[in-house]
Amino acid sequence: MIDLRQQDDLRELRPRFSGMVLAVFVVFSALMLRLCQLQVLEGDHYARRAERNFVDVVDVEAPRGHIFDIKGRSLASNRPAYTLHFTAWARFTVAPDGGIIPTEEGVRTPIDEASRDLLVSLFDFVDDADRAEMLAKLEELRADEQRGRYAQILRRNLSWNEYARIEARQDSLDPWIEIRESSRRFYPEGELTGFVTGHMGNIAREALERSDHLSYRPGDRVGQTGIERQWENYLRGRLGSRSRVVDAARREVTAASAEAVAALPPDRDPIPGQDIYLTLDLDLQRVARESLESKLAGAVVALEADTGRVLAMVSVPGIDPNRYEQPIPVEQWRDWSGSPLKPFIDKTVQEHFFPGSTYKVVSALVALADPEFDPDAQFECTGSLVFGGRRFKDTHVHGRVDLERAIVESCNTYFFNLAVQSTLSLEHVAPIARALGLGERSGLGINGEVKGTIPTEEFEAREGTYQGGVRLNSAIGQGNVKVTVMQLAVLYAAIANGGFVLTPYLVDRIETNDGKLVLSTQPQPRNEKPAINAVDRARIHRGLVGVVNDAAGTAYSERLPNVVVAGKTGTAQVGRDISEAGIEIEGWDTTQDHAWFAAYAPAESPRIVVVAVVEHGGTGADAAAPIVMKVIDHYVGSTTSASGVAPRAPGVPPPLPGREEAPPVVAPGERGNARDSSGPPLPGPGRSKNRPATPGRPH
Amino acid sequence: MGTMLDRPQDLFSRLRRSVDWVVVIVTFSIITLAVFNLNSAGKGDWTGRVATQLRWVGLGTIAMFVVTAIDYRVIYRGAYAAYAFGVCLLALVPFFGIKVNNARRWLGTDDWRLQPSELMKILIVLALARYLHDSSARRIKRGLRDLAPPAVMVLAPMALVVYQPDLSTGLMIGTIAVSLLSITGLTLRSFLVLMSVAVSGFALGWSYMLNYQRKRIDVWLNPELYADDEGYQTIQAMIAVGDGGFFGRGLDKGTQNSLGFLPEPFTDFPFAVYGEEWGFVGGAMLLTLYASLVLWSINIASQARDRFGALLCVGVAALFFWQVAINVGMVLQLLPVSGVTLPFISAGGSNVLTMMISLGVLMSVSRSRHVR
Repeated sequence: MIDLRQQDDLRELRPRFSGMVLAVFVVFSALMLRLCQLQVLEGDHYARRAERNFVDVVDVEAPRGHIFDIKGRSLASNRPAYTLHFTAWARFTVAPDGGIIPTEEGVRTPIDEASRDLLVSLFDFVDDADRAEMLAKLEELRADEQRGRYAQILRRNLSWNEYARIEARQDSLDPWIEIRESSRRFYPEGELTGFVTGHMGNIAREALERSDHLSYRPGDRVGQTGIERQWENYLRGRLGSRSRVVDAARREVTAASAEAVAALPPDRDPIPGQDIYLTLDLDLQRVARESLESKLAGAVVALEADTGRVLAMVSVPGIDPNRYEQPIPVEQWRDWSGSPLKPFIDKTVQEHFFPGSTYKVVSALVALADPEFDPDAQFECTGSLVFGGRRFKDTHVHGRVDLERAIVESCNTYFFNLAVQSTLSLEHVAPIARALGLGERSGLGINGEVKGTIPTEEFEAREGTYQGGVRLNSAIGQGNVKVTVMQLAVLYAAIANGGFVLTPYLVDRIETNDGKLVLSTQPQPRNEKPAINAVDRARIHRGLVGVVNDAAGTAYSERLPNVVVAGKTGTAQVGRDISEAGIEIEGWDTTQDHAWFAAYAPAESPRIVVVAVVEHGGTGADAAAPIVMKVIDHYVGSTTSASGVAPRAPGVPPPLPGREEAPPVVAPGERGNARDSSGPPLPGPGRSKNRPATPGRPH
Repeated sequence: MGTMLDRPQDLFSRLRRSVDWVVVIVTFSIITLAVFNLNSAGKGDWTGRVATQLRWVGLGTIAMFVVTAIDYRVIYRGAYAAYAFGVCLLALVPFFGIKVNNARRWLGTDDWRLQPSELMKILIVLALARYLHDSSARRIKRGLRDLAPPAVMVLAPMALVVYQPDLSTGLMIGTIAVSLLSITGLTLRSFLVLMSVAVSGFALGWSYMLNYQRKRIDVWLNPELYADDEGYQTIQAMIAVGDGGFFGRGLDKGTQNSLGFLPEPFTDFPFAVYGEEWGFVGGAMLLTLYASLVLWSINIASQARDRFGALLCVGVAALFFWQVAINVGMVLQLLPVSGVTLPFISAGGSNVLTMMISLGVLMSVSRSRHVR
């Protein structure tokens, strides 16, 4: 046996052992008490905190309301899409051998550069700017922990290729990305209804700050133009929420325990956006668009004469709103914004033009308002008129004309003469023109309407363009008179319906997702009593019927066989836009005049008003009238054949009786000197060289 | 004693007699809980960590009974040799060690790797016990001069361990050594000197402490302030414990663990996994098991035949006591975060082996107390 030589002194250690026992007892009691505190006393508190960890409430986007035409055909709907959500700051990172691992001490760290580059390499960028934008966004989130810690929308509408590539690399990017199902806007008719429906875009930061933060989140899409913008609040619907169990890496856990699922707050269903039924008739819209097909730039508006319902509204060129659902290459943007054809501009309301001879009805109404004016007095047109040392020319010698004939044949000299006699002074014209809806927004409400201009002497003085001759040019829709296509349509509708200036409208009704009526629009005449005296109206009406049906009428060649159309041609001279010099587009001749045609039909009982403008299209009769006639032909044909006359909306006066006498029977093919004119280049004040014919983009 | 291995049946019968059933039952109770807990921490995986741990438990059990069978006076003779062997292994680590997460702590292959610093915990107990036994034979009270050799004995492996770097294991070795020193007589003066050295050392250490370590203390003092950053993991561990409530969530049902909110569920924070699933009832049970083991060791120490045996038992008690107190204290936010693991419950082969060898030593002493 080994002798350890020591057995005596252990008794002295007894107190130390007692001390040790005491120490052990104290320490374990402390641990036990602490355990009791955490688990028994504060257990509920920590249980709630544990819940907060794994309960994740995600927004559920409400399906956006659809947009339909009057017959319920879809103009804007939704399609399923995949959205990539990105979290720049995560508590996890990717292990070298795959799988996710917590970061050092579980502290949030930004995505590493290699992973970021991998992520960027998975997208199909349309161009370098698109890539740069993505990189900038990633860097911004990497630099900002406050924003970077939440999942942000990085890219919408992933293409199938992108989706597949990201899915394949999911393991390497798991801590940072999540693909969620969402939806994208889809416009079945594309460009055809592009200006009406408008398009969507990312919400601007300022708009986000102005919104109440409950309804909009960064990266949300909002209507940018058209109906999408004007009726955003109705279309959007309300966000819902869905709660789910997530793990520490904030990935959804599908096989969560029953206890965890029971702790989830209840889901809130989104309230779908409301559906909008437009007054637009898709068939008519298509006819209008097709009849404009050969024109480079122009616009057509068709209104229901008694109500102001917009039946068709086309502006070319346009942009397919579906394009905005994907990134647009910078090159494409540059093409669009540099194009003299202005594809961004809705030429029905967003741009104003010289109305040319279509304005003569206003001049005629102003003259008729003058008690000393005799519309039946004959005036000898000699082909030109000298005033203030200048010669104001007409297209040709019209001979003896009265008011009606001056309209039919579009005689400039007749109106020059009235202007010289001060019957058509600017002060006389302006109030009446305004009462007829010119110089003010029509109230359609979409696409940033411009007012147009109805010059007064004050205005001319301010512009520095006042000269004695300006009222002569104004009398025939030149000078400084500018109107939009929509305004002209409202004006002609007023003539057609007996003097009621209507506020045009596009929205027929709005319904909830389950078909409850939310809102339906009623016709809104701006005046309670007719703005046009019935006798005057009848006189002008006869003139307008003559334009199309009289052998000497300017649009006689374009008359329709089955319906009597009343209308007025216009050929507006425009100055050459300096800024467009140098850009050559085939068939785009800026020395050509703008062609107009404004008409309503059937003449006896007008139902539809159609106005068309073709930029640099030439004469109104040749370029614009056929377009209008096709639309009228289709409309009258389709409404009379199918359901007869559309029921009159309540509160709308019955149409004035049309012309009592039968339309003149004219031998077909007879064309006569059907040349509309505003005369050769005018020396008027509005013609100075450096003054662009069209103003800058209005806002 | 020379007839130890005379006949096999002798060995077995002596083993049966020498086994301390308190130690065995308590130990295997803890190991059973550990196996379930590792399975939970691994989200229902029986093959990975659990299998590895069981492999080491098997190896450790053999080692435990072998050591039990050895008379502790044999251990006395081999104490310095074993210590020297341990220091040599430690010295080899910087040259042949396996590097994991920027620290070179292991020897061996990837499958079977041994952490010499863990073994050092029990080896330092053996060596110190022998030294203190021998020196107490010469003198009753010890002054500062007598502390020089044990100080060298402790600081040499400590330095090697801290160099790896593995501060917490290094400090654990030091703590165990101080515990042993405190049980044998120290003069009041030398105790005071030691204390003042420790305090000034701590103050000096604080000023030289690396930023992240100072941050740790800061986080420990104000965990909620850093709940989203550096304090995230410790807060999550505390939430897990609290989430357990009185009866616990039940096996595999703790959300904090199963959904990955718990940091380091295998090594540093397995007690949080356990606390969430077993609740206060289970937690109190586990702590009681550990306390029993520690108190039983002290009990054996008090009955030991000699100072060497008593010191061995106290060393083993200290080994368990400090690991449990520091690890559980850390999970319960009573202490700052450190890398100290929980015996058996934390995954780690070397620690299991070390602990089972320690228990073998304990049982060896336990057996001999009956042989007076």
